[in-house]
Amino acid sequence: MSQPIFGNQLSSFVKRNGSLVVLIFLFLLFSLTIANFTDSRNLTAIMFQSVVTGFLALGQFLVIVTGGIDLSQGAMVAMTSIVVSVSMMRYGAWAAIVCGLLAATLLGFCTGLLVAKTTMPPFIVTLGMMGIARGIAMMLANAKPVPITNDTFKLLGSERIGWVPVSAILLVISALIIHYILRFRRIGRYIYAVGSSESSARLSGVNVARIKLLVYMLSSFFCAIGGMIWTARLVSGSPVGGYNYETESIAAVVVGGASLSGGEGNVLGTMAGVLIFQCINSMLNLTGINPFWQGAFKGLLIIITVAISGLRGRGKLLGSRKGAKSV
Amino acid sequence: MKRSLPLRLSKNGPGASMMQASVILIVLIILAYILSSGVFIQPTNLLNILRQNTMLLIVVLAEFLVILTGGIDLSLGAVVAFSSVIVVLFQGYGLGLALVMALAGGLLIGLLNGMLITYLRLPAFVITLAMQQIVYSVAKVMTNGAKIEHSLNGAMLNMRLTQLYKQDLFGVSVPIWFCVGMVLLVSVYMHTKYGYYIYAIGGNDKAARMSGLPVKTVRIMAYVLSGLFSALAGFLFVSRVGTGDPDTGTLLSMDAIAACTIGGTSLAGGKGNVSGTVIGLLVLCVLNNVMSLVHVSPNIQPLVKGLVILIAVYMNNMKSKGDN
Repeated sequence: MSQPIFGNQLSSFVKRNGSLVVLIFLFLLFSLTIANFTDSRNLTAIMFQSVVTGFLALGQFLVIVTGGIDLSQGAMVAMTSIVVSVSMMRYGAWAAIVCGLLAATLLGFCTGLLVAKTTMPPFIVTLGMMGIARGIAMMLANAKPVPITNDTFKLLGSERIGWVPVSAILLVISALIIHYILRFRRIGRYIYAVGSSESSARLSGVNVARIKLLVYMLSSFFCAIGGMIWTARLVSGSPVGGYNYETESIAAVVVGGASLSGGEGNVLGTMAGVLIFQCINSMLNLTGINPFWQGAFKGLLIIITVAISGLRGRGKLLGSRKGAKSV
Repeated sequence: MKRSLPLRLSKNGPGASMMQASVILIVLIILAYILSSGVFIQPTNLLNILRQNTMLLIVVLAEFLVILTGGIDLSLGAVVAFSSVIVVLFQGYGLGLALVMALAGGLLIGLLNGMLITYLRLPAFVITLAMQQIVYSVAKVMTNGAKIEHSLNGAMLNMRLTQLYKQDLFGVSVPIWFCVGMVLLVSVYMHTKYGYYIYAIGGNDKAARMSGLPVKTVRIMAYVLSGLFSALAGFLFVSRVGTGDPDTGTLLSMDAIAACTIGGTSLAGGKGNVSGTVIGLLVLCVLNNVMSLVHVSPNIQPLVKGLVILIAVYMNNMKSKGDN
């Protein structure tokens, strides 16, 4: 928003969607240099691996746009997976899906309430929620994995149309809906407004508390969807899984061009961010590089992207939230 | 400068938030005393709490320094894991060398964090998150993902190292000396020129820069100290557990941040003090201790901990809201 206009539409598109450009570049590079990269099998695998992080990143993106952060995502995934697998044993697949969505959204409602109505920082609220969600998962499952026997539910993790996973189509549809809302609906513009300057938003009559409540609920809702796909792929509910998933979603959102001080970024960039990491994972797998280097690649990529966008929009990324908020 | 700052400290520093944390700690201690029918208050148990949490204490102090500048350090746990690997790899050549190598590693990582954050003006959260990934990754590559017990030259773990944690010095166990030493060290640091500068920078970065304070140096120093402290914690980890573990400490930074916040350190920077932070840490430690003393199922423990964090921070914020 604050960038100078060079009159060239292409260059401004590139600037707004840096992560998309990086994704296309990496994709071309890998498909030219690595033999099986563009194999339909490998592309399917990349999509399968992207879906869970994709849903989490979608929720995380909404939260980060408002200037918050959600650390409870990984625990929320574990909790959903347990709620779903436990309730499925008694009530069947559809009821279980509803239970999972309700449980996560309810907890997201609590998070949102605490963030919106108190002065507690989102970092701490979601850190506490992380413990609570993890505890609920452990309690319900007695710290043991719960198997999934329902075949219809398993399809959620494995069904494909051609070589495109159904879960990936679900993700694309969700991302498009969120994109549409953020771009063209009033509530979407409000979400950006809260992130770029909370006090201005409040003074212009935006119900800031309601917006915050909404994004944390949506984040948990998407965690629930991601968690169910994750459960279906694992064929069991796991109370101890999903550790540090929030790190991955935050990384994807940041690489996708959103600023942690809020008010910036778009859905397309975030999705590109998710795919960039999965492409790198796939490259490491195919080339036989020690998989333990994965984290180093990830970290370097994060630093480089942030450095580039930081140098571009100096004033905005000063690091201190005070500077960023006083637009 | 030096004159006006302590005035500000007396208003924001040992004031409101520490009281809240102390109240919670006292309530917890009373509860612990009743629930454990007196076992909790026995000196052996109290000393045990300190011995078990020496590492956490050191890491919390590191996080405290960084948070006070208005930053955050998520790479602490990774540095602990990395330095535990380094210590095991080099202890065959002498303990001193192992410690120096570990500290050098921590210093380097802290320096990198600090330089990227200050000179490129990048957000601390993102940089230290990235650094966490990188450092864990390097540690795992070094050990091939496994825990290690052998030095580079094939030597088994040095007995002196594993004995260190169990030894007594002047009748007090060594890890407790470490606790006391580190708390004193940081308290003294906070009363030097640089300590006051940290408050100034965290309180208002721009004002500090305008008044000619060495903002960059002070901020980098905070990250360097954080790296050094975490490396020391890694050394103690090896001494206590007896292995170098590239997977350890994934939730350490989170615990450290929670302890700081419970103790009244503001995540926005510039507000908080050492004693409050130590009390915040004790809240977490006592909670863990009493839960294991009265055999609370480990399945419920994360839930209780989460609730206590929320309640404690909620109480802090209620008070500070009233102040303003």
